[in-house]
Amino acid sequence: MKPLLKPADIAAATDCLCRIEPGELAPLPAQYEDFNAKVPAPLKPEKIKNIEASLDDTVAIGIPTPASPEEEDALVLRFLSGLKKLFERENNWTFLQPLLLSMEHCARCQTCSDACPAYVMSGRQEIYRPIFRSEVLRRIYRKYLKASGKIMSKFTGDIDLNWTTIARLAELSYRCTLCRRCASVCPIGIDNGLINHEIRKLFSQEMGIAPKEIHDKGTVQHLRVGSSTGMTPPGAKDSVEFIQEEMEEITGYKVDIPWDVEGADILLLHNAGEMLAWPENVGAFAIIFQAAGISWTMSSEAAGYDAVNYGLWYDDVQFSRVAVKHADIARRLKVKKIVIGECGHAHKALTVIADRLLTGDLNVPRESAMVTLENIVMSGKLKFDPRKNDFPVTLHDPCNVVRAMGIVEPQRRILRKIAPQFREMTPHGVENYCCGGGSGFAIMSGYNFTEWRNLVSSRKKFLQILTAFENEPQDTPKYVCAPCSNCKGTIRDLINYYDAEERSRLYYGGLVELIVNALEGMQKPMIRFGEKPSWD
Amino acid sequence: MEDADWWKSAYKTSTVNELKYMTPEILLLRGLWKENKRLWLLSFPFHLGLYLILANVVLLLIAAVFTLWSPKVYAEGDILMLMMNALIVASGWFGIIAGLIGSLGLLYMRLADRNMKLYATPADYFNIVFILMFFLCAFLTAVFVDPFFAAAKSYLLGLLTVGTFSSTYQPGQNVFGALTILLASLLAAYIPLTHMSHMFMKYFLYHQVKWDDRPSRSGNDIEAAVLRNLNYRPTWQAKHIEADGQKSWKDIASSSPKEIK
Repeated sequence: MKPLLKPADIAAATDCLCRIEPGELAPLPAQYEDFNAKVPAPLKPEKIKNIEASLDDTVAIGIPTPASPEEEDALVLRFLSGLKKLFERENNWTFLQPLLLSMEHCARCQTCSDACPAYVMSGRQEIYRPIFRSEVLRRIYRKYLKASGKIMSKFTGDIDLNWTTIARLAELSYRCTLCRRCASVCPIGIDNGLINHEIRKLFSQEMGIAPKEIHDKGTVQHLRVGSSTGMTPPGAKDSVEFIQEEMEEITGYKVDIPWDVEGADILLLHNAGEMLAWPENVGAFAIIFQAAGISWTMSSEAAGYDAVNYGLWYDDVQFSRVAVKHADIARRLKVKKIVIGECGHAHKALTVIADRLLTGDLNVPRESAMVTLENIVMSGKLKFDPRKNDFPVTLHDPCNVVRAMGIVEPQRRILRKIAPQFREMTPHGVENYCCGGGSGFAIMSGYNFTEWRNLVSSRKKFLQILTAFENEPQDTPKYVCAPCSNCKGTIRDLINYYDAEERSRLYYGGLVELIVNALEGMQKPMIRFGEKPSWD
Repeated sequence: MEDADWWKSAYKTSTVNELKYMTPEILLLRGLWKENKRLWLLSFPFHLGLYLILANVVLLLIAAVFTLWSPKVYAEGDILMLMMNALIVASGWFGIIAGLIGSLGLLYMRLADRNMKLYATPADYFNIVFILMFFLCAFLTAVFVDPFFAAAKSYLLGLLTVGTFSSTYQPGQNVFGALTILLASLLAAYIPLTHMSHMFMKYFLYHQVKWDDRPSRSGNDIEAAVLRNLNYRPTWQAKHIEADGQKSWKDIASSSPKEIK
């Protein structure tokens, strides 16, 4: 029997606070039972000898171990200074009110626990419980920042603050996908996802601690060269030229992707990862817009061809810098609106969160591609033959598009029109489960994090997908429609990890690929199960 | 945002829909019923008890006002007084019993349920025992001294008239009655200082955390607030922020730091 962990145990001097034992993870169906005993494999000692790795057997950040007790003490003080700033208007006007409300009013009723896919699928490991990290932060805040905190902490919940506490809390903030399913079920309205987000901010904005994939290679690279993929403006143009050629080759439809058209109705912002990993998505958008006679453009300016904004997950300053660049490019192009392609976090970043940042002429109208596409598909401008999509299709709801923004029906109305074998996952819509790759997890692959994602945070989504198709013959190809780049990448990794193309004939892709596949006039199908695309 | 060009439409809210949602949420704890039925079985009587006791106090106050305002209209045997008396007795008894069951149950759950126990602090136990003691004292008072709440009515009348009202009914002094009054007064002062104020803060938690989707528009109050906030000068210390105490959020958000130049 494992010892029961309490929030105060985060400060305990142990090599590993929580180890998932074989067989503890929630079981998978018979076809995948050989994965039931798998657990995230610990890293070799030489790989972790200079980094903090005492939370679980997984490392997301790789925080360097302090060289001396003095350095540890300095870092503890730095943490407290950052914590104080989280509760100051001049430093955190962006999220201060919801943070305070969530910090002060949690009844610790545990209703959120069963809503969290990472916690439940992990075999209910205590440290992944939504309120575990919130309670750690709450106790530190009350004990070290409030008047008489040290005395009152005996009454309101005690905790020791040392470097171990801090290093583990930093890692732990990257075991939650920020899907905010916990917040949606809380009877009071406490947002543990937000508290986790604020913990990440504290570490990034005060201590410069963040996973390199989302900071160094993410927002920093995005602002420096133009894209978190490292793609420069000329690189983006080359990629698009390639996509145009490929689209003609694949579908027989000649497409011309417009760049920097001043005064266009729409500035289409793609996640630049699509250009590299799923160019057919970019091509499919172009085919639909061109066929429908839409006035649109893409931007070749640095940052203007990459909709991502990783700052959303960990750093308000980096978030603001990227969002302002996006809005400024649209403003100078004088477009009527920005349409955000199939990228969930870009939806939330530029639409919902940037709404509290962009003012005046930077507040260019922003619209989800789900809505734009529905308008086109339902307009009658394009003719469809749904029989071309006569295979089982299920829809993954990206949390940022659906739960955060309430965009639930447009994509469904499209699928009902073009995919005769569309079936829902359970649950779906605003009650959906995260793909497991949210909040940066999809792109975080350093150390052994990918395995933790595949085994723990994505496990619920994998089960949901299998359940959605459980009545289909094994050898029938099945399409998981995931209109979000990060979700798509996560589902791609799931299919590969669990060998699900071979075992269940699972395939994945976006929404626009299905639309073009059903479009009349295409000489060849866009979706070809089992065929490797030329760019792979 | 499910509509094309959604920003061209007026932002609409519906008080009726809000009431339709919030009334069962507040009175029946609908969210908890949906997500955590086991806890609802105890939490609902607990909250119902508190609501009914609040209602009981309001009814006692109304009765006191009626008594002072027009003794002729509000007289013995009058239908209004009969109704008020019935409501006072019903809300009092049901409130006390529901609250007693709820607070006892919640205390047991915090002690016995592994998940709740792990996170329970001495403050949590103190709070629930505090409320339990109030309901227990109220119960003992009602059973042994004041089953028809006559003493409670007299107390409220005395409170409103600073003890100058002369009633024909003079309740006997009772330690449970005194404790009930003392605990109720302390509770009313204590609850706003604890997480138990979620009963009232729920309004903000729903409107500011769950539901706030009112867009910022040119010239509206949200844009004005954002413009004010952008003038704050952050002091975050990480190098990439490049905050020096002089630069505003606006300066920082619209410039690229040296690290990336």
